[in-house]
Amino acid sequence: MTKNVPIQEIVDIGTKAGFSALAVCFYDYARSVSFDHQGDRFFHAASTYKAAILLALYDAAAQGAVRLQDFLHVRNRFISVADGSVFRTNARRDGEPAVYRSVGRCLRLSELARGMIVRSSNLATNLLLDHLGVERVQEFLRKNEIGGIRILRGVEDDKAFEQGLNNEVTAEGLVQLYRLLCSEHFLDETMREEMRQILFAQEFNRMIPAQLPGSAEVAHKTGEISTVCHDAGLIFTPNAPPYALAILTEATETIKTRKKAVAAISRLIFKFLRPEEAAAA
Amino acid sequence: MKTLADLPIVTAAGLRPDARALLRPGELTACADGRRHRLPHSFLEVPSWAAARSTPLSPHFNLSELMLVDCREHDELLHGWPHYVPCSVFVFASYLEAFRRKVGASVYIAANGGYRSPAHQRAGVPGPHCWGCAVDIYRVGNTFLDAPEAIRKFAAIASELRSEWNVKSEHTDDHLHLDLGYLQWSPAGFDDA
Repeated sequence: MTKNVPIQEIVDIGTKAGFSALAVCFYDYARSVSFDHQGDRFFHAASTYKAAILLALYDAAAQGAVRLQDFLHVRNRFISVADGSVFRTNARRDGEPAVYRSVGRCLRLSELARGMIVRSSNLATNLLLDHLGVERVQEFLRKNEIGGIRILRGVEDDKAFEQGLNNEVTAEGLVQLYRLLCSEHFLDETMREEMRQILFAQEFNRMIPAQLPGSAEVAHKTGEISTVCHDAGLIFTPNAPPYALAILTEATETIKTRKKAVAAISRLIFKFLRPEEAAAA
Repeated sequence: MKTLADLPIVTAAGLRPDARALLRPGELTACADGRRHRLPHSFLEVPSWAAARSTPLSPHFNLSELMLVDCREHDELLHGWPHYVPCSVFVFASYLEAFRRKVGASVYIAANGGYRSPAHQRAGVPGPHCWGCAVDIYRVGNTFLDAPEAIRKFAAIASELRSEWNVKSEHTDDHLHLDLGYLQWSPAGFDDA
């Protein structure tokens, strides 16, 4: 079945958009089939890796290492993995001002998790990663055999960026991650559903969900920096099991139309995997 | 039973056993100043956050502000009630009130920036925070203390105000630390035994 994936059309969209690299991977629960194009190529993760922190947080909660309702001191002060110097996240670059308004005070771990995903808060991300520890997140990825996500540091660690110390993901790695949210072997259904609900509440919806029918619900996390533009998540439709999808792109410069291109690729894959629902829309 | 601001005062024998093991009342311990001091031995017994919020220590500071900790506090002390706070917070608050009067603006104490127990993850080698005699101030009025100039400005005001203040401004970059050292205090009429 996967030999019929419209890969040439997908590649053409990427080429027309000006991407220098494009990776696509999906796993469809309706037919138990997977597909990838450049699925093992590593990209700068941008904010896509925040989904891994979400899952690692819930994993830690299931182990009793943290309580999601506990409070954490909101402190905008982090240590660079490059040289141990202090850095702060920039409120103007953060999608979630509420976390900055709480500096000095406390927010619940669950509130920070929501801010990290729904509005991609960099401050919330760094607080959670600091609290969990990079090693715990890496261990979570290791034990779930997700080799396609490498996490080294928090967000806005510019000195680390200059030294090439970056978080990286592959399309396969992200699809594996999202598949955990559908796996009976990962935590319990209540926790999986809580995480999916947070991801459903995503407010940055101009890529994977943008050109899908209104009946499709997407639990996802985007990621963008100047040269990369990604989206990955789970797509649910009323009449079929979900599919997991990751679309990763890279370019030598910021491309204005890159989100539209990712949305078009998402629509092509939807039409391929759910032709009846696409036709009915 | 002796009370202070309607809260019972307890010593080692009056603490919950799990809390006693973590607070180590009266224990002589090596401290952050390189010397040895005895950990606090008399505590206010705080039954709830509502009680902490409604207990004034001075005109502008209530008890909850000086005992706000996050999940880095030991689980049993964070989730178990009552909570215990050294009686010295009353004395400390009067110094803090004088500082507030001098600056003429609200003084905001950071989470984990007031009393923290010796079992708190940030306690490390115990320092004045474990005696309820220290604060980390992250904001004065509308000024966030996240720049050297702002920290130095309010550090100078504290230093000039009272010589008892131990002011640390050189090694912080997002707060001003003020402490009174290792103060033990039991109210008059209270039996330390």
